[in-house]
Parts: sequence; C-alpha cells; structure tokens
Amino acid sequence: MAEQFLIAKELHKSFNEHKAVNGISFHIDKGEIFGLLGPNGAGKTTTIRMLATVLEPDQGDVIVGGFSIKNNAEAVRNLLGVCPQELALYEDMSAMENMVFFARMTGLNSNEAKAQAMSHLELMGLTERARGKVSKFSGGMKRRVNLAVALVGHPELLFLDEPTVGIDPQSRNNIYETIEGLRDKGMTILYTTHYMEEADRLCDRIAIMDGGQIIAIDTPRQLKSRIGDSEHVTLEDVFLNLTGRSLRD
Amino acid sequence: MIRAFIITLREVQGYLRDKAAMAFGLLLPIVTFALMYFAFGGESLFNGTAYIVNEDEGGEYSTLLLEKLEEIDILEVEYLPRSEADKKLDDSDLLMVVYIPSDFSEKLAAGEHAQLVFKQRGNGGQEGQIVASLVRAEAEEMNQEFQVKSQVSGILAGSGIPESQIITTTRTLLALERANPTVSVREEAVGSSPDPVRQFLPGVVSMFVLFAITLTAASLIEERRLGTLERLMTTRLSIGQLFFGKFLASTSRGLIQTAILLALGYIVFQIFSPVSFLSCLVITLVFAAAASALGMIIASIAKTPDQASWIAVFITMAMVMLGGTFFTPAQDTIFYTLGRFSLTTYSNSAFRTMIAEGGSLGDVGTELGILAAVAVVGLIISRLTFRVMPGGR
Repeated sequence: MAEQFLIAKELHKSFNEHKAVNGISFHIDKGEIFGLLGPNGAGKTTTIRMLATVLEPDQGDVIVGGFSIKNNAEAVRNLLGVCPQELALYEDMSAMENMVFFARMTGLNSNEAKAQAMSHLELMGLTERARGKVSKFSGGMKRRVNLAVALVGHPELLFLDEPTVGIDPQSRNNIYETIEGLRDKGMTILYTTHYMEEADRLCDRIAIMDGGQIIAIDTPRQLKSRIGDSEHVTLEDVFLNLTGRSLRD
Repeated sequence: MIRAFIITLREVQGYLRDKAAMAFGLLLPIVTFALMYFAFGGESLFNGTAYIVNEDEGGEYSTLLLEKLEEIDILEVEYLPRSEADKKLDDSDLLMVVYIPSDFSEKLAAGEHAQLVFKQRGNGGQEGQIVASLVRAEAEEMNQEFQVKSQVSGILAGSGIPESQIITTTRTLLALERANPTVSVREEAVGSSPDPVRQFLPGVVSMFVLFAITLTAASLIEERRLGTLERLMTTRLSIGQLFFGKFLASTSRGLIQTAILLALGYIVFQIFSPVSFLSCLVITLVFAAAASALGMIIASIAKTPDQASWIAVFITMAMVMLGGTFFTPAQDTIFYTLGRFSLTTYSNSAFRTMIAEGGSLGDVGTELGILAAVAVVGLIISRLTFRVMPGGR
C-alpha cells in the first residue's frame, strides 16, 4: 500500500456567512499526481491555500509528511512548492533573479540558490532568457518561470494551481513533460485545472469539488466508467454530469 | 533574519533600478526646495494697494487724506464704487476696503467726530492689515492737526489773527515737527534677514521623508495584488521577517533620498558642520522608521492600492499642515493640539534645532524618543492587524 503523503481531514473554511469549504477529506499518495477539479467557486483555491498553510482552516487538519499544518506549519512549508494561479513573479527582475530570490526564501544559500535556479530554468527551456526581465517575457515564458520558481528547494509536495492557463500549445506541452518527469522522480503533486483532457492525461486520481464539498473521487478511468464506456466517455462528460450545466460565476 | 535582509535588498535594488522613479524621488525635493527658496526667500519690500470707496468726493478733508495716502511710496490707491467694492468683498476678491463716508469733510469742518470705515473679510489678510495701519497713521496725523489747530484757535480767539493764517502756521509747524520729531525711532538690523535655507530645508526634508508612508503601504498591497505575498508565505519566510524586511527597505529608501538632499545642503549652502550633518542623518533615520511603521499600519488595513495611496496621502498632508512645515499653529488652538499627534512636529523641531539653531543630538532627545516609540508601536500594531488575505495568517 502506497504511503499517504498528504491527509486532509474534515476541512472547513467560511468567509463571513459563505462556506467556501465544507468538510472535505482526502489523501494524496506519495509520488501521485492528484487532480482537484471543480467549477468556479467550488472551493479549490481555498482548499489549496489551506493545504499550503496560507489560510487557517476553521475546523479540521492536514497532515503533510507526518507534520500537522496546525501544529507545525513551518515544517510543512519546508516540504512544499507552490505554483499559484497568478503569475506571482517580480516583473522588474530577471527570471534568474526571481528564481534566486525565492530560492533564498526557501532557505537555500546563495550558491545553492544560483545552481538550482539555473538547473530549473534549463528544465523549463529558459536558459537563454535567464537574464531577461520577466516583464519582457511572453505569457508562456512567464508561466514556465512561475512553475520553475515552485521547484526550487526540491519540494516533496508540489501544488500546481492551473499552471497552463492562457499559454500556447508548445509551452503547455513543455509544462506537461516537466510534470510527468517530476512524477517519474517520485514527486507528489496536487494539480488543479479547468482543462479536462489535461487532467485525464496527467492525474492518477481526481477529486471533483462543488459547493465546497468533494462530490466524487477516483481514477479518471473509474470516474468515466460511472456514466458509460470509459473508452468513449470523456472526463468533461463526467464533470458536467456531476456538477451540472448551469453557468457558474 | 537573513531572509528579512534579502527582502530589504530586493526592494532597495528595485528602487535603484527604476531610474525614472529614483530621479523623481530625488529631484522633487530639490525642486520643491528651490521653489520655496525663490518664492519666499528673497528680500522683499511691502507693496500694497489701498482700495478706497470715497463717498465724500470733492470734500476738503477726504481729498487731503487721499493726497497723503497717494504720497506713500509703497502704496497704490485704487478707487472703487461702493457696489463693486461690496461685491468684491463678498466674493473674497478683496480682503479690506476703506470707506470714506459722504459726511466726512462736513463733520470735520464743523468740528465734529468723523469716522472712516475699514470693511474686511476675516482679519483682512496680511496686506489689508498693513494698508489699514498706513491709513490709520494718516488719520492720526489729521487728528493731531485738528486738535492743535483747535487749541491754537481757542487761545488766539479775539486776537484779530485771521483763521486761515492760524491754519497755515499750524500746518507748517506740524510739518516741521514731523520732519524733525522730538521722539524719533531708529531702526537697527540684527543680522541678515532669515536664511531661507535654514528656514525651509527642515520642512522639505520632513515632507519627503513622510512620503515613505505612501511607498511602504503601496509596496505591501502591491505584493498582495501580484500574488507574490501569498507565494512568499508558502516559503520559510515568516510574516515577522517579511514585515521587518519591508520596514527596513522603506526606512533605507527614505534615508538614501534624504541623505542626498542634506548632502546638497552641506555642499551647496554649507549649512552643516560634519557633526550636524551626521546628526541630521540620525534624525532622518529615526523619522523614516516612524513614517515607515505608519505605512505598514496603512498596508495592514487597506484592501486595495488605491485605498492605501489615498489614506497615505491624507495622513501625509494632515501631518505636513499640522506639523509646522509651512506655518506654525498658534498655541492653545485645536490645530496646535492636533499638531502634537503629527510626526512632522517632532521631526521639524529636531531638524530646526540642528539646522537653524546649531544644536546637538542631546538637544533633540525628546523628539527622537517620540519618533522611535512611534516606530516600535507602529510595527507592533501593523503586525497584529496584518493578514496575508482575509481569513489568512
């Protein structure tokens, strides 16, 4: 049986009267890519923020690598790499400077930070633009730097919140290959996306959230087989079947 | 702690890298200082205008009074009809008008009491007050003349000397007396006129250090907006380290900017000794720390960059006004009391002690203590109220 690297237990989070996350529990096995899908406002980002120790849960706890986010958040942060939905980069700095800066924040010394920055930029195909200002980069290049920053410090658990939004197929493919390479090296990944074919390709298991709750959790194949022949049904069919076709704003 | 310094370094490098922003940051205080220097610093004589409504046109004594006023070199006399003068006073286009009533000469000729009317908005303004005192002085002379003439006429009544001769002789003797007064006033200059550099530099320095408030507040809110704040909070950086790093960056930026302005004063105007220059840098450091801490409080309560900017601008302007940068509020007024809560009251006082009075750091211990206390308390309050995001740590 695989080691459960992240265990979320009965997580609750409300903002005033609005229950953003309403008692969700799940686990992510070590070395697994776990997809968290859901329409807008389903509670995915709030969940990730709690897992990443940015938001404190109203109730419940999360255990990451044996450490509780309530009692030992700093130890949890030492295991994490986060690639947020926004391009959380300093545009007045070069790709290299961004990498080194965030690497220093994760506790690496100057030499280690520079070495890792270079190696991750190479991984993302950005070696030649390492000294270029981020403000001059295309959307795809910025997304790749955004992901590269999350990899500094060699985290054991990586949160990827919609890492391929608004980029060209080449950059998207580069990110897919990078993520698959990371899985092959044993990294545990939590992945959110609105692109169902992406989740189908990358994720070992998927949880579908709606209204702050997990309404389904299984492998992509098992989820598809719930509504028909898994060879012909798409994950998007499953998603719409479970969450409905009404618009979410 | 090293992470806090890395945050500081990033901010300061960003400041130094943005050449345009840095140029504005350095040029603006210099230009502001130059404007104040040329606007208020020159030797200037009073040149004013007396606005007159003369309803005693052709009257002997009103004509005499107006002739006397027109003889004054530093005074222009402008005549207005009553309706226009009233309207201009109503609209605040004029602050003081002298009204000569229609029976002015008639009453004086009959030996009765006559009255000039000064109509003014508020206190009449500085120019109005000076014009009023000039008109009052001329009226005093006329009074004096009438009293002497009346007494001489009384004494010489029945002597057969014609009235016109008494008047002429009285006027001649009074003119002689005015030319060679029995009691005269001698003006003695003590030093030169107030040095505008010493007068204005403390205020300009204080004002621009205070702008650190806006930059600090904007910096943290911008990090929140970009998402870099959230990302930083998933690293090993603690909020305390983030705060200290930002606080140090803002303080350093204020110090760098002010050091250049003070260096200009040191090199160009030679108003410092090396010791007083270093003392001013110490004051700047403590004041910039207090201003930065206030900026951190604003960043912790504002939700958008616009909110942060407007709050910071309001606080900066209020402090500049109340803190004696441009004028000193009179004691025992509400503005004076409010000014006690302005950081610039203490920074201005400390800088003036150094720059204008040649004091030492020991003389400004109270001011430095208050500013340092604001820095510490401000940092604590902002740390307690700050959230990375609503519901966050």
